[in-house]
Amino acid sequence: MADQPTPLERFIQGILPENPVYRQLLGLCPVLAVSNGLKPAITMSVAVAFVLLGANVLISLIRNLLKPHLRIVIFTLTIATFVTLADRFLAAYVYQMSKTLGPYIPLIIVNCIIICRCEVCASKQSVFAAASDAIGQSLGFALALSSIAVVREILGTGMLFGLRVLPTAWPDWVIMILPPGAFLTLGLLLGVINWIDSYKSKKSRSS
Amino acid sequence: MKPVEPPKLETSGLLQRLKNTNIGQAWLVLVLALCFGASLAAVQLTLGPVIEQNKLNETLQKVPELILGTAGAQKAAEQNQNLVVEPQIIVVEKGNRKIFYSVYKATLNGATTGWVVKTAGQGYADKIELLIGFNPTIETITGLFVLDQKETPGLGNKIITQKWRKQFAKKGIIQPLVVVKKGAKASNEIDSVTGATISSESITSIINKAASDLRGPLSANILKVK
Amino acid sequence: MVENKQKTESVQKASGSAVQVAPSPHLSSSSLTTQRMMLDVIIALLPVILTALYVFQWYAVKQLFICVASCLTAETLFMKMRNKPFSLNDYSATVTGLILALSLPGTAPWYVGVIASFVAIGIGKVIFGGLGMNIFNPAMVGRAFVMLAFASTLGASGYEDVTSAVNAITQATPMTVFKQAGIIAPLSDLFWGLSNGSLGETSAIASIIGGFYLCIRRTASWEIPASVIIVTAILGGIVNLINPQLEWTVLHHMFGGALLFGAFFIATDPVTSPLTTRGKFIFGAGVGAFIMLLRLFSGYPEGVMFAVLLMNALTPLINNWTIPRPLGKLLEP
Repeated sequence: MADQPTPLERFIQGILPENPVYRQLLGLCPVLAVSNGLKPAITMSVAVAFVLLGANVLISLIRNLLKPHLRIVIFTLTIATFVTLADRFLAAYVYQMSKTLGPYIPLIIVNCIIICRCEVCASKQSVFAAASDAIGQSLGFALALSSIAVVREILGTGMLFGLRVLPTAWPDWVIMILPPGAFLTLGLLLGVINWIDSYKSKKSRSS
Repeated sequence: MKPVEPPKLETSGLLQRLKNTNIGQAWLVLVLALCFGASLAAVQLTLGPVIEQNKLNETLQKVPELILGTAGAQKAAEQNQNLVVEPQIIVVEKGNRKIFYSVYKATLNGATTGWVVKTAGQGYADKIELLIGFNPTIETITGLFVLDQKETPGLGNKIITQKWRKQFAKKGIIQPLVVVKKGAKASNEIDSVTGATISSESITSIINKAASDLRGPLSANILKVK
Repeated sequence: MVENKQKTESVQKASGSAVQVAPSPHLSSSSLTTQRMMLDVIIALLPVILTALYVFQWYAVKQLFICVASCLTAETLFMKMRNKPFSLNDYSATVTGLILALSLPGTAPWYVGVIASFVAIGIGKVIFGGLGMNIFNPAMVGRAFVMLAFASTLGASGYEDVTSAVNAITQATPMTVFKQAGIIAPLSDLFWGLSNGSLGETSAIASIIGGFYLCIRRTASWEIPASVIIVTAILGGIVNLINPQLEWTVLHHMFGGALLFGAFFIATDPVTSPLTTRGKFIFGAGVGAFIMLLRLFSGYPEGVMFAVLLMNALTPLINNWTIPRPLGKLLEP
C-alpha cells in the first residue's frame, strides 16, 4: 500500500510526534501506576518493548492470513502470550522487581498501545516496518514513562535510581510517590509538551 | 486486511464450502492457540522451579538474622555454622475455624534455636505481612521483618526501618505487647512510630495473635523431640 | 461569581449610557462586587485571626505572613504566565492565603506554607481559568496537597512542639488525642479556643462571630453553614444515642476541630458551592455527613477538608439537579 509511512517514518513518529503517552494518551495505566521510581519505570518500559516488538513482528508475519472479523482475537492471543513470557522471565530472574511491579506486568495485556500498533501498523505493513514501528513506539513510551518517573522520584524521595541527588535536608513530597502525584505530574508534563508545541507552531507560522 | 484468496477458488465448490465452515474460518486462531500454549508450557516447566525457589529464598534468607540477630547471624556465617531451616505448616484450631501458619523451624547442631513465623494481618491501609522470629519456647521475640506493607509513605511505612524494628528483639511476649507513645520501659512495651499509632498497633496485635496461637503447639513440638 | 462578573461589566456599561439593557440575571444591588465580598470575608476573619494571634503568637504571625505573601506572589506570577490581567486588587488571593494559613498548624515549617500557597493558586485556581472557574476550593486544594505530601508535619504529631513557650502547642490537638487515646477536652476550652489545633480552628466563638457577620452581610449564604451544623448535630446525636456512655458529645463534635471554621468560611465559597437555595441545603448536608463519616470511621481525626473537596466535586451535579423551574413551564411527563 502506497499511502503507508515508510519504516523510518514509523520509527521517528513513535518517539515524539506520535508519542504513545503524550500524543495519543494510550496505555496510561502503567504510566500512572509504576512511575514512582526510575527503576520500575525502566523495567516496565523494557517489558512493554519486548511485548510490542514480539506482537508486532508476529502479527506482521501472519498479516495475509488474518480474517477481518477474527483479527482482534488473534491480536489478544499473541499479546497475552508475550506478556506471560515477560512476566515469567521477570519473576525468574529479577524477582524483587517483579514483586514491585506486581499486577502491572500482566496488565500489559490490556495496554492499548500494543493492540493499537497491531491494528494500525503490523496488520498492514511489512515485518521491517512493523519492527521499526514497535521500536519507535517503545522508545516513546520509555521516554514518557521515565520523564514522569524522574520528576516523581526526585520530588518524592530526593533520590534518582535509588541514589541521593538532593541534600538530605530536602523534605520529601510524599504526595508525589502516591497516586495523586502521578496524575498531577502527567497533567503538568502534558501541559508543558502542549505549550512547547504551540510555541513552536506559532514561531513557524510567523516566520 | 483482506485475506489473499487463491485464484482457483471460484472453480472448486468443495473448497469454497470448506472455507465457510467454522474450522475454515478459525483454523489460524486454533493453530496459534496451540503453538502459544505449547511454548508457554515449556517456559513454565523450565522457569517454574526457579520462581518457586525465589519465593522460598526470600523467606529462608531472613531466618538466620531473625533468630540470631544481625551480629549473631554474621558470626554464625563466619564460623560456618549453618542453621538448618525446615518449613512446616502448623494448624491452630480456634473455635470452629482452622488457622494455618507457615512456620520455619531453625536448628543448629541438632538443637532447636528458634522459630520464624510468617503471618499477616490488617494494617492501617492494607494487609501487612510479617516474619517474626521467636525463641524455641515462644517467650521472647528474636527479630522482626516486614515482608509486605502498603502503609502511608512517610508515616506508617516507617515500620519497615531497621531502627524501629530492632526494638522488638529481646522483648518478652508472655504478656501481650503494648504500644506506648514514647519511652518504652517494660519488656512488653513498644515505642510507636511517630504519627502512626494505628500501624504500630497493627504490628503488635499481629505478633500477639501469632504468639498466643502458636505457643502451645510449638513448645509441645520441642518437648516431644526432647 | 459569574454573576458578579456580568454585574461589573454591566455597571461599567451603565456609566457610559443612560439606558441600561442587559440580559438576565438582573441584579438589584450594585454594591455586590467581588472586591466587596472578599473584603467582607477578611473582616469576618478578623476575630479568628485575633484569636490565633493571641493563642499561637509568633507562630500565627509567621504562618499568616508566609501564606498571604506566597499566595499574592503566586497569583501575580501565574496570571502573568497566562497573559491575564493583573488581579490582586480583588483580594481573592489574599483571602485564599488567609484561609490557608488559618487551616495549617502554626508549627508547620515555612516551605509547607509556600508550597501550599503555590498549589492553591496554581493548581487550585489559575489552571482552571482563574477566579470563578475553579471546581475546588483553592485553599483546600493547597492544604490537601501538603497534607499528603508532608504528612508528618501536618498529621497528628505536626501540631506538637515541645520547645514552644505557648502552653497550647505542647499538646496534641483535641481531636487527635480523642481519636488515639480517648481523652476528652473540656468544652469551654474548645469554645473559647484555648486548645491546640490549626491556627483558625481552635476557637468556636470566633468562627461564630465572623460567620454571623458574613451571613448578615449575605456574602455567605446562611443555608450552607446551617445545614452543615444541623446534619453534624443529628449524626452526632445518633452516635450519642447508640453509645450513651461516650463522653465526646454532640457539642464536642460541633466546637472541636475545624467544623465551625469550615462551615462558615470554607464551605461557603460562592464559586465552589451550588447556586440554588435547594442546592445549598444539599451541599451543606453532604459536607456535614462526610465530616462525620470521616471523623468516625477514617484514620484521620478531622474530615472538614476532604468533606468540602468531595462536595465541591459534586457541585456541578447538584446545580444540574436543582435548576429552578421557570414560571409557567410544565413539569416533564
